[in-house]
Amino acid sequence: MKKSDILIIGNGISGLFAACIAADMGKKVQILSYGAGTLTIGGGIIDVLGYDDQGKFIADPLKGMDGISANHPYAKTGAQTAKKALEAFLKITEEEGYPYLGSPDKNLWLPTAVGNFKPTCLVPRTMDTEALFKADNILVVGFDTMKDFYADMATKNLRERLSKNKNVEEFIVKLNFEYGRDLRDISAMDVARWLETDEGHRSFVDQVKGHVKANTAIVLPPVLGLEPNYKVLDSLKKELSCALIEVSSLPPAVTGTRLNKMLHSCAKKRGVQIIEKARVVGSEIIDGKCQAVITEGFDRQRKFYAEQFILATGGVYGGGIIAKIGAMSEPIFNIDIEVPKVQTDWSYKQLFADKKQIFAQYGVSVDENLTPVAADGSKPASNVKVVGRSLAGYDFCYEKSGNGVALITAYKAAAAFCGEA
Amino acid sequence: MLKTTVVVIGGGATGVGILRDLSMRGVDAILVERDDLGYWTSSRFHGLLHSGGRYAVKDKEAAKECIQENTILRKIGRHCVEATESIFVRAPEDSEEFEQEWVKSCAECGISAVPISMDEAFKLEPNLSRKLLSAYRCPGAAVDGFRLLWQTVASANKYGGKAMTYKEVIGIETENGTVVGVKIRDRWTGAEEKISCDFVISASGSFAGEVAHLAGLSVNVKPSKGTLIAFNHRICNRVVHRLHKSSDADIFVPHGSITILGTSSIDSAPDDTSTETAEVMAMMEIGKITFENIYDYRILRVFAGTRPLYSADPNAKGRSASRGFVALDHAHDGINHFMSVCGGKFTTYRLMAEKVCDIVCEQLGVNAKCHTAEENLVDDPSPDLISRAKAVFPSYGAELASSRLGNEKLERVIKRIETQPEMKELVCECENVTLAEIEEVASEPTSHTVSDLRRRTRLGMGTCQGTFCAYRSVGAVNKENMPWAKDSVYLFKEFLETRWKGIRPVLWGNMLRDIELTRAIYDAALNLSGVEEIK
Repeated sequence: MKKSDILIIGNGISGLFAACIAADMGKKVQILSYGAGTLTIGGGIIDVLGYDDQGKFIADPLKGMDGISANHPYAKTGAQTAKKALEAFLKITEEEGYPYLGSPDKNLWLPTAVGNFKPTCLVPRTMDTEALFKADNILVVGFDTMKDFYADMATKNLRERLSKNKNVEEFIVKLNFEYGRDLRDISAMDVARWLETDEGHRSFVDQVKGHVKANTAIVLPPVLGLEPNYKVLDSLKKELSCALIEVSSLPPAVTGTRLNKMLHSCAKKRGVQIIEKARVVGSEIIDGKCQAVITEGFDRQRKFYAEQFILATGGVYGGGIIAKIGAMSEPIFNIDIEVPKVQTDWSYKQLFADKKQIFAQYGVSVDENLTPVAADGSKPASNVKVVGRSLAGYDFCYEKSGNGVALITAYKAAAAFCGEA
Repeated sequence: MLKTTVVVIGGGATGVGILRDLSMRGVDAILVERDDLGYWTSSRFHGLLHSGGRYAVKDKEAAKECIQENTILRKIGRHCVEATESIFVRAPEDSEEFEQEWVKSCAECGISAVPISMDEAFKLEPNLSRKLLSAYRCPGAAVDGFRLLWQTVASANKYGGKAMTYKEVIGIETENGTVVGVKIRDRWTGAEEKISCDFVISASGSFAGEVAHLAGLSVNVKPSKGTLIAFNHRICNRVVHRLHKSSDADIFVPHGSITILGTSSIDSAPDDTSTETAEVMAMMEIGKITFENIYDYRILRVFAGTRPLYSADPNAKGRSASRGFVALDHAHDGINHFMSVCGGKFTTYRLMAEKVCDIVCEQLGVNAKCHTAEENLVDDPSPDLISRAKAVFPSYGAELASSRLGNEKLERVIKRIETQPEMKELVCECENVTLAEIEEVASEPTSHTVSDLRRRTRLGMGTCQGTFCAYRSVGAVNKENMPWAKDSVYLFKEFLETRWKGIRPVLWGNMLRDIELTRAIYDAALNLSGVEEIK
């Protein structure tokens, strides 16, 4: 029977990051993964804390954590750990040759595919939004047959939002793909792949060059390559002599794919074993300690043993939490989550309610060490820690805190298991 | 100032039916609707084209009208009707005596009710509960409310009839006890306008009391709310009725890729279209008798509408109020040339219009006869047009688009794609709606919001409930520089909030997953709710 030191369930951002941190500290780590996870759906940027409970913008995310409500994950981690976690993440991005920009104590304003802005904290260099504010000329670049980016909408809204002395123009690059729209849709993934080819690179430069004036920043959908490096960005910057900024956009997420690849590469280098198609269906708990988790394949059940476990299975969307009529639960450790019996009490009448949505804050309750606490106050398994979207107490959409909570809680859980709490 | 002979107030089935009928008889008419066509009751129902079977025992007159109109609508509105047929099934809970009486009544009313063995019933509808005892095949069908309304207006347009949306009637003007005009206000611009006319017909359904009040009269409408559940599956291929005395949650109607279960009956305010989880749960429990695995089917959304039940007795309530229709001539109340039409059924909308227009025409001295039953609402696309459609639309989208659009609009949409092939991009994959169709409909003067586009095209009505097509449709209308499409954030929110309304009471399982994704896109990634403080 093989037994790992730490077994992580889930290979999203929190699972992978926890694995990298724990492996760095000398632990033998295994990840059980099932499905692609939501990392590649999200934007690959690290939102830490953009707005407080009243919807007021927070300039310094670390400071914003000070007054945060007691059940928020950040209240369990504290700003100190948050800083360490984000710095550890930045260090990994450096090592992997895909360094992120930004600092844990400062929010950035990133343009979106609508042409408005969102606060975020750490971004890849392909989203160097400071360059946008420094530029005199903004060129919004779209692609003629690419789905899900409307350059005209982004142009119009950017023009409205940016200062009057900025000149915002629009340009559409022709793709001329052989498999154009007659055969199938062209997504940002296709364009990213194309820009990694010499032909795509050449064509883009030839078409855009004449429209780039002095001190221009190009705003475009996330298409600057699928690999976690800056080859596409750097060569385009050099040839066009301008900044390029990818916007925050909708799935499929090129930037999320890059981050996913980077974290996998990092985990691999650290000897983390990732077992795929391992659907965890339950756990074996003896005397308040988890001994093993049970996976179920098409033919049989298997047990995976470890000293310690990190639950990083995500929320309702990722499948880590199951929502039923008047009930909610975490299915692996069988933790009931307290929710109102009547479904309409789970939410406000408006979806965009100008406050944190009620159901978004449902999740597994934990103590200050991220150990799960059941509805009756008991702790089902003392050697389990819960991280990321499975946690209760925050609304990542309203606060803009998604990947921040994932990284920071993952760091705390991994460090605690390695005796560095 | 606009001038016409008849002003019809209300763009539901009754109103558009009257507009078409008058127009075809050569009477000038303008219809004014406060919201969008079919915004209220005429789309908030199961989309059932009755065979009459449901009324055969209780109300033979209504049953006969239903089967007659059913036959007519299958012909004149063939693009709005999915001729599925229906099955009536009796559960152990239902009375055997009723079944016998029902069989007899159907025969008397001329409604075909063919008994089949349960083996055959299960073969036809495999999801039916194995506890059911008997089954009959009847000529019921599914009908698309939005489409029928718009195509009825398209037909009226050909004869000069005009429908105006988002025009609220704020006054009914009379001289010497006779109607001379109505005052309207544009809901978007606030501009007020007068339409002078010789006759006013209020076909404002649950709001009939409010409209009559403008002329100082009272009409006793008892709105009764019915809740409906749309499932994200075709649970059955035929309409399925419980064979018993009409009651709650006993009708399942398949539409395209979904099924609608209806309904309930609660006294309500005319504009109450809210749905509570408790109502949904009560209906699911009853629905379980017909389809025992009902809890395994994913719900798409829930919605509600109010039936405008008329009662001469102000104290009558709910199912005891009459479900027939009444045409009130307010000459009896001291105002000439003003009528209120209340109640009735969607299935018999054409017949109601015919009866009302007979009365109105007599008063106006018009002798023309009704011929609404003889002419199709929209022309069938020519074989040439269909082959052009097949060349530009994705697979089965050609048929969907031609039914949705009707001959003339289809040709315009095809032209858009023929000149600009990239216009064939699917904005809504769930319902196969192309960019060309969105831009065509968006450019019509009746479009003001993305929800308006939805009601015309089915955009956002499918599985993802607007999660992906919201961005695309707002982007598309923005591109066309529509005067109404200035504020992107407003357009997004308007569309997504209306979708949310139907999901909120059933926020569990995959519905909650879907909403998590919606919020992740529109709030986390695109920051629609956040305040921006950019330098």
